[in-house]
Amino acid sequence: MRNPITLSTLSLAVSLTASSVLMANVAQAKPFQLEGEPKIAFIYGATARDGGWNEAIDNARQIVADELGYPIAVAESIPEDASALKNAIDLYVQRGFNIIVGTTYGYSDGIAQAAEKYPNVAFVNASGTTNADNLESFYARTYEAWYLAGIAAGGVAEGDKLGMLAGFPVSVVNWDINSFARGAQVSNPDASVSVLYTNSWWDPVKEGQAAKSLLEQGADVIANNLSSAAPFTEAEKADKYSVGFQLDMSANAPKGHLTSVAFHWDKYLVPTIKAIAEGTWEPSEYGAFPGLAEGVVDITPLPDSVPEAVKQTIAEKRAAIIAGELTPFDGPVLAQDGTEKLPVGESLSDEQLWAMDYLVQGTVGGGQ
Amino acid sequence: MEQFITSWLGSTPAFAIPLALASMGLVLCERAGVLNMGAEGYMALGAMTAAVLTLTLGNPAIGIIAAVIAGAALALIFGFAVVIMRCEQILAGLATMAVGLGVAGVVGRPYVHKSFEGLQPLDIPLLDQIPLLGRLLFNQDILVYLTVLIGFGLWFLLERTRAGLKIRAVGEDPASADVAGVQVQLQQLMAITASGALCGLAGAYLSVASSSVWVDNMIAGRGWIALALVVFARWDPLKALAGAFLFGAIEALLPRLQAIGVPAPIYLMNMLPYLFTIAVLLVAAWSGSKKGVEPAALGKPYVRQDRH
Repeated sequence: MRNPITLSTLSLAVSLTASSVLMANVAQAKPFQLEGEPKIAFIYGATARDGGWNEAIDNARQIVADELGYPIAVAESIPEDASALKNAIDLYVQRGFNIIVGTTYGYSDGIAQAAEKYPNVAFVNASGTTNADNLESFYARTYEAWYLAGIAAGGVAEGDKLGMLAGFPVSVVNWDINSFARGAQVSNPDASVSVLYTNSWWDPVKEGQAAKSLLEQGADVIANNLSSAAPFTEAEKADKYSVGFQLDMSANAPKGHLTSVAFHWDKYLVPTIKAIAEGTWEPSEYGAFPGLAEGVVDITPLPDSVPEAVKQTIAEKRAAIIAGELTPFDGPVLAQDGTEKLPVGESLSDEQLWAMDYLVQGTVGGGQ
Repeated sequence: MEQFITSWLGSTPAFAIPLALASMGLVLCERAGVLNMGAEGYMALGAMTAAVLTLTLGNPAIGIIAAVIAGAALALIFGFAVVIMRCEQILAGLATMAVGLGVAGVVGRPYVHKSFEGLQPLDIPLLDQIPLLGRLLFNQDILVYLTVLIGFGLWFLLERTRAGLKIRAVGEDPASADVAGVQVQLQQLMAITASGALCGLAGAYLSVASSSVWVDNMIAGRGWIALALVVFARWDPLKALAGAFLFGAIEALLPRLQAIGVPAPIYLMNMLPYLFTIAVLLVAAWSGSKKGVEPAALGKPYVRQDRH
């Protein structure tokens, strides 16, 4: 599977809770100690040049190689079933690799087994759900950057209608949609985001048609939570704006690209691998969950089409999020139908974020 | 509402044409008695070939022709395995599929996610402004019209010509056909090659016409849907064509329903293309005559020495 996230919100939430409960009993003894010189292996669930998720991690791998200078081996398209992953990890460990980087949700269980089998090897896994004394899963607070992208989108749209296409209704997707909608409402209180799930992670035909449908319904901005170029092409053809995800997508829409919510995984991987090498690494029992403040996710520079006042607002909100004074989900948070999910004065906890199975007010459609 | 229906119907070919071409190719192949499980692979190879050549040469026509040749060439390897070497057809088909997917992934790697100017719709003035059906009928690219022609041509070939009779004879009873002087192996090889060519064209349509971009795995199971469509269409190319359009129409409807905010659960909505197609084709199969059932020798390698 190309994308890290599979269909099951439930299993994600359950395993997250289960792992936190289990892990709470494990005493965090001392930092992880690596034996020998660091030798790193990256294991990808699909091709590394997939134009999206894996490519963002692979770009970070090159920065890790440049900055830290350790030898790095790469295996691509290793299926998510436990036996295939086990073989790959066994081979690497036998050849003396002692830092293994996994890149998909589907590796969660397999990598946890490997971490138990090889206590002297350090494991990190992108968008995984399992953690241990020598294993840390990591994902980014993508919603923080999507909030800023929403402000930009709401600020340039002529009308009130925005459109967003996404893969499946799971929490990590829903929080992107919700914060994008809440951001849009900052610059235009009447903004509404029509939500369209394609039920697929990589189908340019469906994605192009999804964008087209949203444009036909009068959307002024197409926000693409998926990674194919097709929605950008459609937005360009209709002379409308677009927002990208995972990588800088500006090349796909030279005229209308507003910004992309881009990953900078090197901001997590470089310090983490450095800590592993220096013997100071203490994996979090809940996994690492960095955001704007750590620079792991951010929006790409805004073009001149975004008014100066909107840019100003974005800069202020960005600074406030980094300073910890603001989150995109500060109460009140109302669901699409108006039911209150969070009262005034509170902000969503990580646990509530991972369980986000609703869309907020200001979104349209996306029936689940 | 009128605008909604016009654009919905106008977008149907983007989903329908790849399924139609692939399933008609498979109908031909299965009528000759060969079960071809490789469609997904030929389509992947076709999609990649067409996209890469369009990107490098800037001409979708060359890309599409090359995709047809690539699909046919890969099918010929399958044909050699099952017709000449008499391999097990399901295994050989799956192996060919893996080869197609693999080659497409490796060769296409530098070209992934690069969008290009694809095949454009023909510009027919005035007629495409007709409400409801205007865009479906008069604002499509040349391959849409060609696909419909292929459908009727294939039906005529199979049902009304001597050549078609030979193909059907081979699929029903290769031994008798052989006795009657039909070159069984040649008929099967030709049918297999043609099915590969049509699947290659189907793949090319996905990348060059439907989306103007190539992505690894972009066939996304459409080869398997085409294979299932063959059975539901009772091995009739015109029913396969109609089934593909029905399936495509519902697929094109889904994003539009979501875009206007229809409050229906999306998982339920995503079942609709399958449910509708199965329902309609089942009714068609029950109400129709007994003609056009599964070719009797489908999937059985023909060995002349075993003739009895």
